[in-house]
Amino acid sequence: MAGSALRRLMAEYKQLTLNPPEGIIAGPKNEENFFEWEALIIGPEGTCFEGGVFPAKLTFPPDYPLSPPKMQFTCDMFHPNIYSDGRVCISILHAPGDDPMGYESSAERWSPVQSVEKILLSVVSMLAEPNDESGANVDAAKMWRENREEFSRIAENLVRKTLGIPQLLG
Amino acid sequence: MGDVGQSTANTSNKEMTSNQDELILAQQRQIEKEISESIPLVGELEPVTSLSSEYSGDDIYLAKVNDLAAKYSSMRRTRPDGNCFFRAFTYATLERLLGNKEEFNSFYKLAENSKNVLVELGFQQFTLEDFYDTYMDVLKRLADIDNVDDARRELHTVFNEQGYSDYMVVYLRLLTSAQLQKEKDFYSCFIEGERTVADFCHQEVEPMYKDSDHIHIMAACSALNTGVRVLYMDRGTGNIVTQHDLPEGCTPTVHLLYRPSHYDILYV
Repeated sequence: MAGSALRRLMAEYKQLTLNPPEGIIAGPKNEENFFEWEALIIGPEGTCFEGGVFPAKLTFPPDYPLSPPKMQFTCDMFHPNIYSDGRVCISILHAPGDDPMGYESSAERWSPVQSVEKILLSVVSMLAEPNDESGANVDAAKMWRENREEFSRIAENLVRKTLGIPQLLG
Repeated sequence: MGDVGQSTANTSNKEMTSNQDELILAQQRQIEKEISESIPLVGELEPVTSLSSEYSGDDIYLAKVNDLAAKYSSMRRTRPDGNCFFRAFTYATLERLLGNKEEFNSFYKLAENSKNVLVELGFQQFTLEDFYDTYMDVLKRLADIDNVDDARRELHTVFNEQGYSDYMVVYLRLLTSAQLQKEKDFYSCFIEGERTVADFCHQEVEPMYKDSDHIHIMAACSALNTGVRVLYMDRGTGNIVTQHDLPEGCTPTVHLLYRPSHYDILYV
């Protein structure tokens, strides 16, 4: 089983290296272990996360791609769909029926023909358009709904932090 | 950064609850997994009457087991992991084909060509490759064995090796999805709600461990060009198991027993 997972992960790595989607870099941490990846996601243009370079890690199960990987940002994040410990909570990371957040039925789910690339593209859209219905971070969801200005200020400081630029003051 | 620090430290109760929900869900999954893994992926042949022991004292079911035993001699149980229809159907189809070289060869040709059909439908090639290769590898291994009994033993071994068995299931799920999408005008009538056929495939057909319905069976039959008879055994009135042929009016070559949310293989 792990042999098939490894073969698939190598194919995905090759695919991502040959045709990298805009704003995304991802690959195994080291060549010894293909089941732990690091990713860098550039905050999408025209959003409050614009220009940030957000590091995350992906952890793949031994039966990948039958089951989805887990994804966790390793930098500070403040976003309705990211837990305070950085874990990403979006529908594509869950199999159907396995959704503690009660995603809408039309949302994209994990299946063996999804890919790392599809996950990362979904995460980029999630940064651009938070889903405040599924509150992995309830405070962030509330602020996104009720005080967009403050949300943007926090997001901009997170961007600055990833770039090592001094913070804006409140 | 002060703001972010504060909000993370100030983890609200609701967030704790959703973390808790996830933990409970994970534990539930674990328990289900342990139960299901105690049952082989595809079992040995056993007499249909062995079902009686599951229903002692239950007159409705016992009458139906008797009726079933009058029509079928034996059965193979499959693991109840949500993949049972796909696993049972592929196993039973191949098991029958092993007795007929000519039919096996035309099945093989159809399978060989199927990857192109999937790619044309928009599946990304690198996501298909391993499933297709495993499927063809198994078919080839079976084709290379001349003695039918040896080939059937090999089939049984392969279907009880999780890696091979699950990849066979995935590939049949993809072929079923492709069939649904190719004939989406027809199948859209069977899908409730606002979902398109493609959405339905992504959510209900392609993911592993998702249970199968009538619509999955119709499409899978059509994809493998095989007719199936399903015998329904439930708490409904009467002493007789009802049967249904898919596609309607076909001469069924695969026989499956359905008990609420589970399929096993039947033998005449």
